[in-house]
Amino acid sequence: MIPIRQRFLLRLRSLFRREELDDELASEFEFHLAEQKAELVAQGRSEAEAEAEARRLFGPVTPLRAQCRETRRTQWLEDLFLDTKHAVRSLRATRSFSAVAILTLGLGIGANTAFFSTAYGILFRPLPYPEPEQIVEVVDGFSGVGPVTALRGMGKAVDYAGYSTPQAVNLQLPGEAVRANVSSVSFNLGRVLGVHPQLGRWFSATEELSPTPPPVILSHHYWRSRFQASPAILGRQILIDERPHVIAGVMPASFRFPSPQTDLWRPIDLDPRLAGQNWGSGGFIAIGRLLPGATLVAAQGEIRTFAAPIRAQFPWPMPEAYGASAAVIRHDRAQSEAFRPKLLVLAAATLLLLLIACSNVGNLLLARGIARQREFVMREALGASRNRLLRQVLTENLVLVVLGGALGLLFALAIARTLPQLFPSDTPRLAEVSTDPALLLGAAVSLLVTVLLFTAAPLASSRWKRSSSRGSVTASRRAVVFSLGLIGLELAFATTLLIGAGLMGHTLWELSTVDPGFTATGLVSARVSAGPSRCAGRARCLALLEEIERALLSQPATRRVHWANAAPLEKEFAAAASELEDHPRQPRDPAPMLWRSVTSPGYFSALGIPILAGRAFTAADRADAPLVTIISRSTAERYWPGKSPIGKKIRSLADLQWRTVVGVAGDVAQYSLSGFPSWVEGVQYLPLSQTIFDGKQSLNLALLLETRSQEWQAVLQRTYPDIVVSNIQTLRELRSASVADQRSTATLLGLFAGLGLLLGMTGVHGVVAHRAAQRTKELGIRLTLGATPGQLVQTVLRETVLVAFGGAGLGVALAYPASSYLKSLVFGIPIHDPLSFALSPALLIATALAAAVVPALRAVHRDPVNALRQD
Amino acid sequence: MSNEVLLVQQGSLYPALHRLEQQGWIEAEIKPAASGRTAKFYSLTVAGQKQLEHELNQWERLSAAIRMVVEPA
Repeated sequence: MIPIRQRFLLRLRSLFRREELDDELASEFEFHLAEQKAELVAQGRSEAEAEAEARRLFGPVTPLRAQCRETRRTQWLEDLFLDTKHAVRSLRATRSFSAVAILTLGLGIGANTAFFSTAYGILFRPLPYPEPEQIVEVVDGFSGVGPVTALRGMGKAVDYAGYSTPQAVNLQLPGEAVRANVSSVSFNLGRVLGVHPQLGRWFSATEELSPTPPPVILSHHYWRSRFQASPAILGRQILIDERPHVIAGVMPASFRFPSPQTDLWRPIDLDPRLAGQNWGSGGFIAIGRLLPGATLVAAQGEIRTFAAPIRAQFPWPMPEAYGASAAVIRHDRAQSEAFRPKLLVLAAATLLLLLIACSNVGNLLLARGIARQREFVMREALGASRNRLLRQVLTENLVLVVLGGALGLLFALAIARTLPQLFPSDTPRLAEVSTDPALLLGAAVSLLVTVLLFTAAPLASSRWKRSSSRGSVTASRRAVVFSLGLIGLELAFATTLLIGAGLMGHTLWELSTVDPGFTATGLVSARVSAGPSRCAGRARCLALLEEIERALLSQPATRRVHWANAAPLEKEFAAAASELEDHPRQPRDPAPMLWRSVTSPGYFSALGIPILAGRAFTAADRADAPLVTIISRSTAERYWPGKSPIGKKIRSLADLQWRTVVGVAGDVAQYSLSGFPSWVEGVQYLPLSQTIFDGKQSLNLALLLETRSQEWQAVLQRTYPDIVVSNIQTLRELRSASVADQRSTATLLGLFAGLGLLLGMTGVHGVVAHRAAQRTKELGIRLTLGATPGQLVQTVLRETVLVAFGGAGLGVALAYPASSYLKSLVFGIPIHDPLSFALSPALLIATALAAAVVPALRAVHRDPVNALRQD
Repeated sequence: MSNEVLLVQQGSLYPALHRLEQQGWIEAEIKPAASGRTAKFYSLTVAGQKQLEHELNQWERLSAAIRMVVEPA
């Protein structure tokens, strides 16, 4: 073997000095012939005879020359170059065809790339920790600081740590008070995740034992926005809910744990005096890293054996079933679980869109191939090999794909920025979403393969069969069936998309017409929070609220002020395990959970919530008056059907104080427009004045205002600089935000369906126009024989009608099982909603026919004589 | 006639030569021939020499094997 370098030089020479080499070859042949001829002449042959004999002995010059060139192995490159040149020229010759094909491909590729890079960011991108696939989470058991810290030393397969979902706290900074989200974490979380602060240090084990002051670590974004990214902040003190904390470190920007909204981390507090709280409340999740050599299966195997020892450590007896359903799953899965079905639906939708685009282009190419049949037959007759022709067609397609892909990438880059905005803002990892160049490449490659398959298959099978010895070129039956089949498929996919969009649209409509149970949608709601000292003791706290009320009402623009623990649809959870009169607790059954709304007296009338029986709260329901409560209508019907609930008693298992039912209020969509989660079994209202303000909690209430200006914010800020007002929204805005999930899905599906329909339309239009052109002669004959234009239109449209109905049918069949993936999003309509399943195909058929009518009319209005004259 | 059938056309030599040149087993030089015209003269390279020995060995082994089978012992 000769050195690679030398061989490379030879190749290079054969590529760039092709002409020189060809000359050499020619003179080499010439020399041979001349010598041979001279030899023959020397043998006594005549000049002419020698010439002929020399050529005969030598053999056919042209193929031999080609063979010699083949040995240079650059022929394919030259062919490719020629083919590309040819392809560009022929694509330019048929501009409208090329434009449509490139645009279609661009749309398909662009939508796909943009969507998949978004979905990839949410679902599949590895978390920014070393070996992220080893990080696991415990679900359905062992929640809470107590159980999770107990779990810490037990795992043989997993190194366990814990974290809390972020909680809003008041942060006192120099000159202002702000709301911040704090996640409490165990000290070993840094080790488990494998993360290190960018500045300062992580927590140590002793810092879980209530040090003074406790340390706190800042997130990168909070450090930048609130502390101007100053490196001098280490060791500085800040007040969290009035308690001093010292800044110990700053995390890198990539650490957004457990959610991008997290601003600060602090260690858990294992003070024994907090045992009740640490063991009694959840919201603290066990996370861990698989130890070397351990598997998820091993982790799953050992987790349930920990149930008994952990149960024994509880400060109070726990049911035997405790921890029985605990499971270990991958942390990244746990994070994206809720969004998975929806994203998969949308991924399938974009894939359908790409398929539509591909079959559309495939069809265009097919039609073009038929039109060029004669060119191919001719070229084959002139000696082009079938391989060579196939290669050329593929090159043409490749050029189309490359151009379409380039357009698609531009398109994807343009919409990739806006696409994440179509997702609800609580989508995990949304901030990490970006268009990955690698992913763009991946999308382009997958598309390339798709299109090659789509175009090569029909090429190899049905193209340029030497079909016409008669001189007239018509499409083979197979080609027609194939083309119509493609269109049918395209329309089927479009129908499926339309049905999906229809289901979501109908859901949105249903949600918009749901009666939320309250009417005052113009009411402004805001979250008001202050540190514990403001509410030290009930009397002081109520006095503060009254004071705030007076300050607000001193503004003429503000007419009324109300308080509640949460505004309807605000996504603030409050529920209590309760016991109801006439429903004695069964020892084995879990206590019913009642949703808890704490309100000031005017709340019901201000929100337009009807009192159906008894009375609303009044100013007389003071702290020292008998304890009262109001229940919702469906709660009354559930627990005291057919009877009056007035006078019945209810108590929460937390404070065990019986409260008397004094009224029944209309049902209100407190949690979501589509109802409460299944574990909520009733709704109970408590008067604000009778709920506990024990001085340990910080003040955290919803303020509901009837006001015509925004002046009140400035008033509050001036009077109470330490009180934080956040999350200011009207009830209308709250209502609209509560359906963001459905709206984003509906928007995206609607967008895809619209694009699909558009592509389907252009596809149908193209095919009908092409078919009509093919049948010009036939139509001309029919016209001459006395067919009316109307009859001809019918003839042309017959195929379209067939295909549209077939496609719509197939689309319905596809959508029928697929729609179940939308189950969690659909509301108020059956999952096989008759309206969507009937209207969508109808819309599709109507659109397809509309797209077909124009070319059909054009075809039959041609002059029959011209039509017949046409070859 | 059988001679005709076995006769390889002279031109087929050239693709073979070109292939050998591409493999680097022979190299070509253009210089004037005896007749006065310029011609391409091929010569064996070192690599070609080695390859030739290798091929000859192969041939020796193959033909020896065939001889062993065909000729009675």
